[in-house]
Amino acid sequence: MNPKMYQDKVVLITGSRRGVGKAISEHFLVNGATVLGFARQEATIEHPQYHHFMVDVGDPDSVIRGFAALKKVTDSIQIVVNNAAVLTSQYSMIMPPAAAQAMVNVNLMGPFMVSREAAKLMRKRKWGRIINIGSMAASLEPIGDSMYAACKAGLSTLANVMAKEFASMNVTCNTLGINAIESDMLSQLPRDKIEEIISGLPIARFSVSDDILNVIDFYASERSSSITAQTVFLGGVN
Amino acid sequence: MIQETAVLEVIFKALNNLNDELNDSDKFEVNENTCLFGANAELDSLSLVSVIVDVEGDISDLLGHSISLTDDRAMSQEISPFSNVKSLLDYIVVLAVEGA
Repeated sequence: MNPKMYQDKVVLITGSRRGVGKAISEHFLVNGATVLGFARQEATIEHPQYHHFMVDVGDPDSVIRGFAALKKVTDSIQIVVNNAAVLTSQYSMIMPPAAAQAMVNVNLMGPFMVSREAAKLMRKRKWGRIINIGSMAASLEPIGDSMYAACKAGLSTLANVMAKEFASMNVTCNTLGINAIESDMLSQLPRDKIEEIISGLPIARFSVSDDILNVIDFYASERSSSITAQTVFLGGVN
Repeated sequence: MIQETAVLEVIFKALNNLNDELNDSDKFEVNENTCLFGANAELDSLSLVSVIVDVEGDISDLLGHSISLTDDRAMSQEISPFSNVKSLLDYIVVLAVEGA
């Protein structure tokens, strides 16, 4: 890979402190990008081209304040990765409403607000890539994940509608449906259940970071200007 | 206090930017009577959104604080702020006075 492939790009990544978001952030940094990270807590990445903003994407006012702060660093964003998410897995009848509401706020409203504000900056340069991190749950609809799966299915729909709205601005909107990857979020779920699901997939293994980064690079590529309103699932989920 | 001329300049700039992106046959005349919304609008809905985003951003920069042209209040005005350039100008001036 060309180590400078993202050198002129400013990338906003939500949930950049850990897990998949941190791996994506580090990938863009290694490849020359300036990375703006949104997360609720302090930064875990130290890099001269990394700028951290303490933002709760589940709170629209916090997102607005985050964009006001980042505009002091840059007046442009080329790539957005909506990665931040929360997961509570529980049978619907006993799911705490607050936990369900938090999933709607962070997993759906968050990407909406971040994409909305980023698009205003992208339109000035008539170029942009919005990439949502979805989940195999949207397709597999596992028991216990009613709200999480609904949010992730909604995330694809969000991208698909925005793809139409932003097409004239040369901004593409796509979704990557990841499957199980070793992370804090995965550790919240029963291991045996996850292994059972993964064993039933065409590619019956946990994902690794590079599986995700490969699709991110594809969506973010200059050559992908006609790739929009698409959802790619890892592991053979469809 | 923000000057009406400065607001008008921002609105004209946004409309002229839009005009620059249109085919010659779709370009429209920009003046205080230019219709922005409704049956006689010169702009399609997506173009109006682009103009609103530009105007909101530039006016917020001028005022030093953010304003919203698309909140419930704007949408519930008896005469839509987006009827034409003059109505948008008047509405922004009201917002500016209130926020001063």
